Amino acid sequence: MAGGDPVAEPREQWGTRLGFIMAAVGSAIGLGNIWRYPYVVYDNGGGAFLIPYFIAIATAAVPVLILEYSLGHKYRHAAPFAFRRVRRKAEWLGWFQIGISLIIMTYYVVILGWVLSYFYYSFGSRWGDDPNAFFFGSYLGTTDSFWSVGGIQWKVLLSVAVAWALTYLILRRGVRRGIELAAKILIPTLVVMILAIVIRGLTLPGAASGLNVLLTPDFGALLDAQVWVAAYGQVFFSFSIGFAVMIVYASYLPRRSDLSNSAVIVGMSNSGFEFLAALGVFSVLGFLATQQGTGVTEVVESGVGLAFVAFPQIINEMPGLNSLFGALFFGALLFAGLTSAVSIMECAVAGVREKFRLSRTTAINITCGITALLSMIYVTRGGLYYLDVVDRFVNNFGLILAGLAEVILIAWIARQLGPLQAHINRDSYLRVGWWWTISLMVITPALLSVMAAINIYQEITNRYEDYPLSGLLVMGWGVVGLTLVLAFVLQRLRRHEELPETIGG
Amino acid sequence: MGTSAVIMLLIGAVGLWGTLTFAVWNFLRRSAAESKDGTGQP
Repeated sequence: MAGGDPVAEPREQWGTRLGFIMAAVGSAIGLGNIWRYPYVVYDNGGGAFLIPYFIAIATAAVPVLILEYSLGHKYRHAAPFAFRRVRRKAEWLGWFQIGISLIIMTYYVVILGWVLSYFYYSFGSRWGDDPNAFFFGSYLGTTDSFWSVGGIQWKVLLSVAVAWALTYLILRRGVRRGIELAAKILIPTLVVMILAIVIRGLTLPGAASGLNVLLTPDFGALLDAQVWVAAYGQVFFSFSIGFAVMIVYASYLPRRSDLSNSAVIVGMSNSGFEFLAALGVFSVLGFLATQQGTGVTEVVESGVGLAFVAFPQIINEMPGLNSLFGALFFGALLFAGLTSAVSIMECAVAGVREKFRLSRTTAINITCGITALLSMIYVTRGGLYYLDVVDRFVNNFGLILAGLAEVILIAWIARQLGPLQAHINRDSYLRVGWWWTISLMVITPALLSVMAAINIYQEITNRYEDYPLSGLLVMGWGVVGLTLVLAFVLQRLRRHEELPETIGG
Repeated sequence: MGTSAVIMLLIGAVGLWGTLTFAVWNFLRRSAAESKDGTGQP
């Protein structure tokens, strides 16, 4: 045993049910809610997208969320041992989910570093008149070709170090005094910040044209299978499903807990938040288009382009309180991202701690140390290319495989839906029944299989962004494949040891 | 804003925030009942 006696440490538990809900909402609400969802709505039928989106929430996202809560809560372990309790040879799935989460963390924390820098830059609009040239040139110093690493970008490294320090400090304070307290402070503040952005956005000239572009329904789009795949994809990525996070968070709940109502609160908080964010984003995009004398569709962006190019342009154009608006936007991104980053690390910390019987501190030091080292590749001048490829493959293949394997294991191989349903209904106000079973046995696996097939077909027929094949093989397929191999290796380690009842229990 | 956009805005707002309000109301009602009961258990 290394690094202390974990059995002597009492098993951590949320201080209150509200604390758990806040932490789970903090995990689900991330950068994607602000910079991905608005574009997905716009690009998939506008207001009409809400129909498949609602159906996806009801038939896949909330059912899987309830499933993950019940797994963590019933077995009271992090993902690897929770799956091992379901079926002895399924421990790899927990490690694969943790591995995928950690891969995401390696670049997620780098984006948090950029956000921190831009929070500072927003005081006085230090990106100047050409935010595009500033971001890709002065700030990231992006190289011309994929394999041209180009050395460390020191100002990026500095802000990434601060992002890591914040994450580490919250984790070190523990579940109740760290994660729960941070969520109770950051999530309400985040909602107030987004509300302020929305209210300011709606009062700007051109806001109505932005909202028209976002919400005017194109019902013909509902006949396009891609729109339905986009809706299911959006809710899967957005609800933190398949990340191993919700399993470990539920394992910290008291033994008698209402799981299904908590899942509905967390799910609808997440979706309600991203809908609010979409209104804010498109109202200010409408303002930008009006200022530039162009159409809204000409200025619509998502992801990195929205946050670090379009928003600085919007902030430059604001009629007053520019710095405050910038600080609100980048502060909101920071708070949304930080609570998600902490949750990603916590699922890994809990898994490593249980497997290797480590103290919490040692487990945090090891997982944060290794992940921080790996994140250094994105701090280089070529880092944006690697980030782009890893993000695409992890989302399009890693997460889908993790989610698909989870529902097939529970519903079809181990046939655990019955016992889990009884566990959920024991203390839950909203009882799960036939709709939950059908969602998990048929709808979710079918949709995830279709998404996987479409993604594989697209990847084979179109080379992503014309990156070199070697780059896609190493940073894309290679990273996902290596994570899978490592998951099986970890399953084989100490496999004959008895499973602890629960660490610190 | 166009009428269809306003309708979709209302559908989104009522659907998402309405469901959230209902779930939070359930949560608060149960929490109040549990504290009144004194067991702290559902």
